[in-house]
Amino acid sequence: MAKITIHIKFFGAFRKFGEGLDFSVPTGSTITAVKAVIQDKLNGESLVMNSALANDNTILRDSDVLNDNADLSILPPVCGG
Amino acid sequence: MNQSIHVRISTDPLNIQDAYDYVIDPAHGAVDVFIGAVRNHHEGQDVQGMTYDVHEVLAEKTFMEICQEAQKNWDGIKVYMSHYNGQLDIGGISVIIAVSSAHRAESFEACRYCIEELKKRSPIWKQEHYEHGRSEWLPGHSLKEAVGE
Repeated sequence: MAKITIHIKFFGAFRKFGEGLDFSVPTGSTITAVKAVIQDKLNGESLVMNSALANDNTILRDSDVLNDNADLSILPPVCGG
Repeated sequence: MNQSIHVRISTDPLNIQDAYDYVIDPAHGAVDVFIGAVRNHHEGQDVQGMTYDVHEVLAEKTFMEICQEAQKNWDGIKVYMSHYNGQLDIGGISVIIAVSSAHRAESFEACRYCIEELKKRSPIWKQEHYEHGRSEWLPGHSLKEAVGE
């Protein structure tokens, strides 16, 4: 099965895990599947599933599908101001 | 950039005069300015400072969307929205929103709209610093809600 490479950049509470993560997933993986991989790599961090994944243009829905390599950010709940 | 909207994420100290100078207009008789500052307490804990973390590209994009929504709701306003990225001491300015309009009601209402939406939708995070070097990232609004999930 073909795979794509995902780079995840960390923000906020995820900074405790470093700058980010790189891993591969099968082509056509959903955002939900990508988040499951992130959660697994972060020792089951519960914050992952309440966070959003985004590219530099938009926030992605959990049902969105990735068919190409992607640079993404994981965005925990926000509290600016 | 829209000539009546200015948005910015800054690692330099925010300047209140810059906000006023941007929104002041000969046809506008009202300027409302919201300034967010770092306070020295939170839920019974003594706070010594704050670090802000920002996804700058997406934050500026959400700022622009929020300001454009405000202009649709309150016709003719000018809006300035700037947020700090980095570490601040107590009293440091984290956010400035300025809105000008012909009359005061629109400025008050639009400025309130902008700060409330910023807090819910913009990818910005706060880490409070306490005594003895302890720090904590604050909880907030999930951005999954922003895309209807």
